[in-house]
Amino acid sequence: MTETTDARRPRPRAFRLDPAAEGGPAPPAHAPARPAVVVEAQEDAYAREAALQVLPPEEAAVEAAQALGMERRGRRGWGTLFGAALGGLVSLSLWLWIDQLVGNLFARAPALGWFGLGLLALLGVAALALLVRETVGVLRQARVARLHADLAAAHLADDRDAARRLVADVSALYAGRPETARGRAEVGRAAREIVDGRDLIDIAESALLRPIDRAVAADIAAAAKRVSLVTAISPRAILDLLFVAGQIVWLIRRIAERYSGRPGLLGFLKLARSVGAHLAVTGGMAVGDSLVQQVVGHGIAAKLSARLGEGVLNGMLTTRVGLSAMAVCRPMPFAVEKPPGVKDVAPFLFRSEG
Amino acid sequence: MSLLTDLAFEARNTARSVADYVTGTGLRLGVTGLSRAGKTVFITALVQALTTPGARLPVLRAAAEGRITRGVLQPQPDDAVPRFAVEDHLTALTLERRWPESTRRISEIRITIDYERRGGWRPGPASLTLDIVDYPGEWLLDLPLLGKSYAQWSAETLEASAAAARAPLAAAWRGHTALLGADPPASEDEARRCADLFTAYLRASRADLYALSTLPPGRFLMPGDLEGTPMLTFAPLPVAGPARPGSLAAMMERRYESYKALVVRPFFRDHFARLDRQIVLVDALSALNSGPAAVRDLQNAMTDVLQAYRAGRSSLLSTLFRPRIDRILFAATKADHLHHTSHDRLESILRLLVARAIAKAEDVGAKIDVIALAAVRATREAAVRDGRDALDAIVGTPLPGEVIDGQTFDGLAEAAIFPGDLPGDPKAALRGDGLALAEGENDYRFVRFRPPVPEAGPDGAAVLPHIRLDRALQFLLGDKLS
Repeated sequence: MTETTDARRPRPRAFRLDPAAEGGPAPPAHAPARPAVVVEAQEDAYAREAALQVLPPEEAAVEAAQALGMERRGRRGWGTLFGAALGGLVSLSLWLWIDQLVGNLFARAPALGWFGLGLLALLGVAALALLVRETVGVLRQARVARLHADLAAAHLADDRDAARRLVADVSALYAGRPETARGRAEVGRAAREIVDGRDLIDIAESALLRPIDRAVAADIAAAAKRVSLVTAISPRAILDLLFVAGQIVWLIRRIAERYSGRPGLLGFLKLARSVGAHLAVTGGMAVGDSLVQQVVGHGIAAKLSARLGEGVLNGMLTTRVGLSAMAVCRPMPFAVEKPPGVKDVAPFLFRSEG
Repeated sequence: MSLLTDLAFEARNTARSVADYVTGTGLRLGVTGLSRAGKTVFITALVQALTTPGARLPVLRAAAEGRITRGVLQPQPDDAVPRFAVEDHLTALTLERRWPESTRRISEIRITIDYERRGGWRPGPASLTLDIVDYPGEWLLDLPLLGKSYAQWSAETLEASAAAARAPLAAAWRGHTALLGADPPASEDEARRCADLFTAYLRASRADLYALSTLPPGRFLMPGDLEGTPMLTFAPLPVAGPARPGSLAAMMERRYESYKALVVRPFFRDHFARLDRQIVLVDALSALNSGPAAVRDLQNAMTDVLQAYRAGRSSLLSTLFRPRIDRILFAATKADHLHHTSHDRLESILRLLVARAIAKAEDVGAKIDVIALAAVRATREAAVRDGRDALDAIVGTPLPGEVIDGQTFDGLAEAAIFPGDLPGDPKAALRGDGLALAEGENDYRFVRFRPPVPEAGPDGAAVLPHIRLDRALQFLLGDKLS
């Protein structure tokens, strides 16, 4: 039954191998007059496939760091109980004080009392808004971490259905940003077509995240530059310490904002914890890469001036923190895009002029 | 009566699952497959992979993370069932380089896997007990009979045997049945003759050349120790309405019912009703070798068989009272018989073959995956350049007597085989009426190979190469080992 066959389709064939010369030319048994047949061993495709199935160490580090901070659930321990009880008592005393205050105001003059009551209402509304914002921030960070892990898993498994769903989620994350409109349209088109799971994730990564990556790299570079400059010229050590801390806080918030949205105060604390964990894990991994550069860079700069050397070192530290924040805040793992290194983001730290 | 038996069956089932739940962490893995799908080889390879320390299972997370400390064979729980002879099968595979002989009776094996839990709220060492049952694949064909009456089964079997693909094979038996006349009286002699001819027809259809699959009742092909009992001495007859007492049809109907009650139901009850995970092995390549009619036949057989299983998402309550299969893996076996670039096509053909079973299982929330798998990989891959043609071929030692491209192999010579391209559209594999196609008429010819020369692992035990066995294990056991 070969009526549906394309005439040019190759027929089944067999080529006997000479046991002595495996991999070399073997005479075809059925057509000795034709030129020699060459049989070449191929590399084992299954070993390659299997290697792709295991999470790379960088990705594992990011997921571990995210689990420690952004995805961390409130733990039920004695410390938490103590904090909660103390917080409850403090709020009660605060409430007593406010109650008394409003009562006193009413006693002084009813108009003053009403004014105080109005202020109290405003306070309540503002507190509620703050609470909502904090909750949204924390939830958003947790969601980014989950997205990141799911996307990494879908990328590994080449799971088309999961990829479609997750890529739509990432797109939704940027729905409010006009500058990503073109990338989102591109991703929407790709998701409707028949694209493999892995390819779809790759397309989404370069369409949606590449511009943001670039902006984030620029932020990191700017912060590193400021830090190294201020360290080099600041008159007191305590001043540049404060400045570095401030810049790092600003940088982490800024990166989170670019990738997902404002983290809020609680969200920021969780995020900072993740960044710290990621720094601790990758610090050891990066020995081959940037530690040597750090020593070299520091050495050259330090020869010129001690303060300049410190400036370079602080700049490097800021950059490393920024890169960790980038890895942790990014809703997608690095796959087609290359994760930037210290040298890509802040090349100016390595030039001899500092 | 039947309601009472069913109730008793459910009650016993429930009692057992409650006992299982209380005593610990067991997992019953169902290895399903028609005859020659590779069940025995799969189980042997699985046991070998889980009990040999040097086995390469990079995709099985627990193994890759080094959390599996050891796997040990245990005495199986059922004293009445023989043990799966894993050592004999291994010897056959590694020392003699031949495939294990076809399974003639049921057997069982239990492995305990000691592993380290990953994080969670209960970290530390744990163990998982895995129960696996091997049985002749022919018996599986009986499961659909549970829901059919004698009249219904007769009508279906007669109709199927009249189809173009089967008519020549069934000619002798059909001719005899037609000669019987309307409503013949009961006679043991006649019953035996009918059953013999019917069995001969079933046997002929199963031969490699035809590779047909839908051939119940299964014990006719693989009778075990029931050979010659009245239970196996019946055959389909054209029946209209209730059978007259004392007629041949009434006698056969009674035998059919006792076959169901005494053979099929206990088999189903003891080995299939309580499964947690299931792997369905399908040998699509033999059917493809034979032709589109055989492929369609395989599709019907798989659809019928898979109707009998209980699938669905398991919850605590259902774990206790009505165990369900929550993960089903469909595996196209013998994937080493073609180049890895063709595996996607093989998978899509398999997806089409079991489409109805997949839809049904997904409806009730079971997780499904489809892969191309070779539990023991007998070939390696090579590129063949012959003049202008560049072919992706596989290299191995074909079994003695295999014929391809006008050459017959002796089981010693190695050869690079290009089996032909599978169709890009899976539906093309089902189109047409070809059966037992000669080699030149089909677009592909899959040659069977001898088992590979085993490699020695770190401690001297043989390590069998495989294709995606680790992925199958990750899907079936991965979540239980985390």
